[in-house]
Amino acid sequence: MARMKFYCDAERCIECNACVTACKNENEVPWGVNRRRVVTIKDGEPGERSLSVACMHCSDAPCIAVCPVDCIYDTIDGVVLHDKDICIGCGYCFYACPFGAPQFPQEGAFGSRGKMDKCTFCAGGPEEDHSVDERRKYGSNRLAEGKLPLCAEMCSTKALLAGDANVISDIYRERVINRGASVLNRGVSYQNAAFRASSGMEGKSSVKK
Amino acid sequence: MIGELIDGPFWYFSLVVFCIGVLFRLISILRAGLKPDLAVPRSGGSTGALRNLFSRFIPRRDVATRGRLTFVAGYLFHIGLFALLFFARPHVDFIAERITGFSWPALPYWAFIISAEIAFIGLLLLWLHRLLHPVTRLLSNADDYIGTGLVFLVMLTGCLALAQAFEPLRLLHLFLAELLLIYFPFSSLMHAFTFVFSRSYSGAVMGRKGVNA
Amino acid sequence: MRRALFSSAGVETAGFSAVLMLTLVLAFLLLMAPHAMAETAGNAPAIQVPNPSTDLWREVRQRDGVTSGRSQIAGVESGTLINPYGETWRNFRMKQLIPYSGYLLAGMLLLLILFFLVRGKIRVKAGISNKKLFRYTLYERMIHWFIASVFLFLALTGLILLFGRSLLLPWIGSEVFSLLASASKEGHNLFGPVFAVALLLVFIRFVRRNIYQKGDLTWLLKGGGIIGKGHVPSNFFNMGEKSMFWLLVLVGAVIVGSGLILVFPVFGQARITMELSHVSHALTTLLMILVIMGHIYIGSVGMEGALDGMTTGYCDLNWAREHHAEWATLCEQEGKVITDVEVSRLRGDGDTQQHAATSAQETG
Repeated sequence: MARMKFYCDAERCIECNACVTACKNENEVPWGVNRRRVVTIKDGEPGERSLSVACMHCSDAPCIAVCPVDCIYDTIDGVVLHDKDICIGCGYCFYACPFGAPQFPQEGAFGSRGKMDKCTFCAGGPEEDHSVDERRKYGSNRLAEGKLPLCAEMCSTKALLAGDANVISDIYRERVINRGASVLNRGVSYQNAAFRASSGMEGKSSVKK
Repeated sequence: MIGELIDGPFWYFSLVVFCIGVLFRLISILRAGLKPDLAVPRSGGSTGALRNLFSRFIPRRDVATRGRLTFVAGYLFHIGLFALLFFARPHVDFIAERITGFSWPALPYWAFIISAEIAFIGLLLLWLHRLLHPVTRLLSNADDYIGTGLVFLVMLTGCLALAQAFEPLRLLHLFLAELLLIYFPFSSLMHAFTFVFSRSYSGAVMGRKGVNA
Repeated sequence: MRRALFSSAGVETAGFSAVLMLTLVLAFLLLMAPHAMAETAGNAPAIQVPNPSTDLWREVRQRDGVTSGRSQIAGVESGTLINPYGETWRNFRMKQLIPYSGYLLAGMLLLLILFFLVRGKIRVKAGISNKKLFRYTLYERMIHWFIASVFLFLALTGLILLFGRSLLLPWIGSEVFSLLASASKEGHNLFGPVFAVALLLVFIRFVRRNIYQKGDLTWLLKGGGIIGKGHVPSNFFNMGEKSMFWLLVLVGAVIVGSGLILVFPVFGQARITMELSHVSHALTTLLMILVIMGHIYIGSVGMEGALDGMTTGYCDLNWAREHHAEWATLCEQEGKVITDVEVSRLRGDGDTQQHAATSAQETG
């Protein structure tokens, strides 16, 4: 079976936040919740990179391990989902997650957080596919329609990849090889591998010649 | 099935029992009439009644020290419970939806929880006082314990249902509240209404005698 | 047997020859290596396929700290890419806290049962007398049972949240357990601050009698009279009770502090603060539950006459002489000993109910 993964190519991400907006719109997430966010490292410095982060759908997910009511599970596709009818809003998944994926609609006094919400890989929840309840609680279920998450589909630079881990890693590997080749044979591979100039690479100037 | 019963018919039944019961009790108190007082009144009874009604909110100075604990705990409990009952967001919504049709400003969540905590502190201390103090233990009968226990259980289930996400917890809270409503008119819990009559009555009597009590 | 010997010898020979071969090959390679390298360098420049992300990921994945950047998404720690402490916390909770605290609690229960079976109920040696001493006022008993009831509720709800998934969930099913867990969580959150109030009241009321004094070291050296024979004289509270008091006050302060951090996630505290609070909350509450288990044991089935002071307010004179000799002597000197009959009259038991009102003096 496939194992669904996200991969964000830091060489391509231009911090346009379209993935964030697409996700918020597609899933109609509650106010204050952002299932996806773009983090920029070394903002304004040399070597600045941006990455789009959401639930990484870990193979050995910490959130599944620590949930006191066992409401988080992974599907046969390797997507980590949760059951909002079972969730008690304790926040343990939020403590355990390395990526800050679990979100809560409130951060109120006396531990009033509401039910946890996180990226579902556009795969809905435990309810029946495309049911009204599923839509209301978890947002859209594109996976059941044979589509990939909208954030990745919308990505203008194809920095954010989603899908079977094997396919994604093949795409990425190809990209990296092309990038390397472009350094050696300037101007030839560049057409195959559109990329942003990184430090130590002078792709664009070579085209002028 | 049981949920529908609690949420619908039983709620209306308990509400009707509560209203008719309270009315019956109040009317029977009013119909009991006053003892004829043949003495010449030294002053008007109504001012005495009014004064007594409010002056009794503060304990007399000679018992203030000894009863300090019950005074403080009593106020904590009653103020907390009042705030909880009428100004908690879920209660305001419930009352507006089921009874009045209009709502009023509710407490923010933190203030609601603090009033619940104050009420719990007061209630637990008063209950322990009732159990441990020799006088109150002798004075208390089953009615007092049932009343205290029911109020406590209603408050506890309400606090357990705070997540407002689990229907059975809400129904449990509602069910106990309905039991409380049915029990209310026929128990000492009626003091929520009758304190006005008892205070005004003794105030009027004292006022007519010209006693500043 | 012979065959086995033979074959093992064969294995040894084979092993030896393999090692020899490997050494030879390695030596050959080592000798040839500089030559081979020089050859490559001469022909073409070394192909180095750069992955520009390598540095980034190395920086992000370094485990000695949080990688922070900036994000357009507002929120606490939204700029943090990876929080490595989450995994540490997960391992603490799942691999250490849940199993070991379970063993500790079960072990403590077993220990108490064993102790009861071996030692039995500690009797008042001189027998229950017909004389009493006034020990706890109404207010003191009230705040004791106040903190006791709140503590039991908090301990129960906390343990449901800690062990429920492994112990209860398989039995009662996901939906019912979720109800129970939600109720426990909300109740725990609401009664936490009530416990803080109760702890403060208990501290203020009992702190003076719990200051350590002269005889306490002797009590400790003699093991509180449990080990040796004969009781060690002590004042109103003995060394053990004082130590428990201070432990509970200090541990209780940590419990309340960490609990408040966890229950108010509104002050923008980072996840690491919450994780540390959770760890300290778990460890201190575990300690407190263990100590309280002992306290409940010795106060109820473990010792004759120990519970009376906290329920009726009066303790037996012989019990006081044996367990709190200094305090009993002081009371006797001051003439505070009263008879059984007097006590039941003050408490309004039996047919002398009308005199109960006189006991109002004990409210002080």
